[in-house]
Amino acid sequence: MLKDRLVVSNDTRHLIVVRDFVSRCIRQSRLPREDENKVILAVDEAVTNIIEHGYDEGVSGSIELEIEANDQQFKVMIRDTGRVFNPESVPDPDMKEHVQKGYKKGLGIFLMRQIMDEVRYKFKDGVKNELTLVKYIR
Amino acid sequence: MPAFQILKEKVADGMILLTVRGFLDAHTFEELERCINDLFEEGHYKLVVDLSGLDYISSAGAGVFIGAIGTAQENEGNIILVNPSPNVKEVFDLLGLSQIFTFKANREDAAKALR
Repeated sequence: MLKDRLVVSNDTRHLIVVRDFVSRCIRQSRLPREDENKVILAVDEAVTNIIEHGYDEGVSGSIELEIEANDQQFKVMIRDTGRVFNPESVPDPDMKEHVQKGYKKGLGIFLMRQIMDEVRYKFKDGVKNELTLVKYIR
Repeated sequence: MPAFQILKEKVADGMILLTVRGFLDAHTFEELERCINDLFEEGHYKLVVDLSGLDYISSAGAGVFIGAIGTAQENEGNIILVNPSPNVKEVFDLLGLSQIFTFKANREDAAKALR
């Protein structure tokens, strides 16, 4: 059983640290290397959403990542104390419309769903938002 | 080496070659967005973007191309993407963008596609 934890502040400059952390954990786990880029991307998208939408501009906050991996799955729990936001409420985008209208945002949650086997959100007392991303190891 | 780098070159027939390297994410995408917007303001709508040195792209990075391709095409131009790594191409595939963008194996083929 692999367990590790990282805490970063809500600044996009830390995304590279988040990606390095997830990469290191994946390489210590049994997750196939072909899934590495995708799982890193899903976590990057989740953390980016929190940084961009979780806090008012100029308000600092922290984001905690906890990774647990075993023979069956690679699980990432992402916790923050920002604005309550349930990604399950966001519909998938119509990509043709997205391109036609020049929309640049709103693709992160779609990517998380495309990549991960489970995307679960819950609001926890004392923690606020907790997003759990799970990739099964087949 | 910086986390993200853009090189801009004018090539033949009013085409612009952009070489992007490093990590294109929510921290760096605005630099590319500004660069492309400046080119549009100068009247350059034919862009070849060499992605061979790009190590990573997230949806924030892909969003720059999504936001720009419509403007380029409306002005008789286009954005042709060159030689992305498998990891970068995978993100375009996941987003369903591989049918919308034209990918070429090298700069010469990209330039031909823009003529």
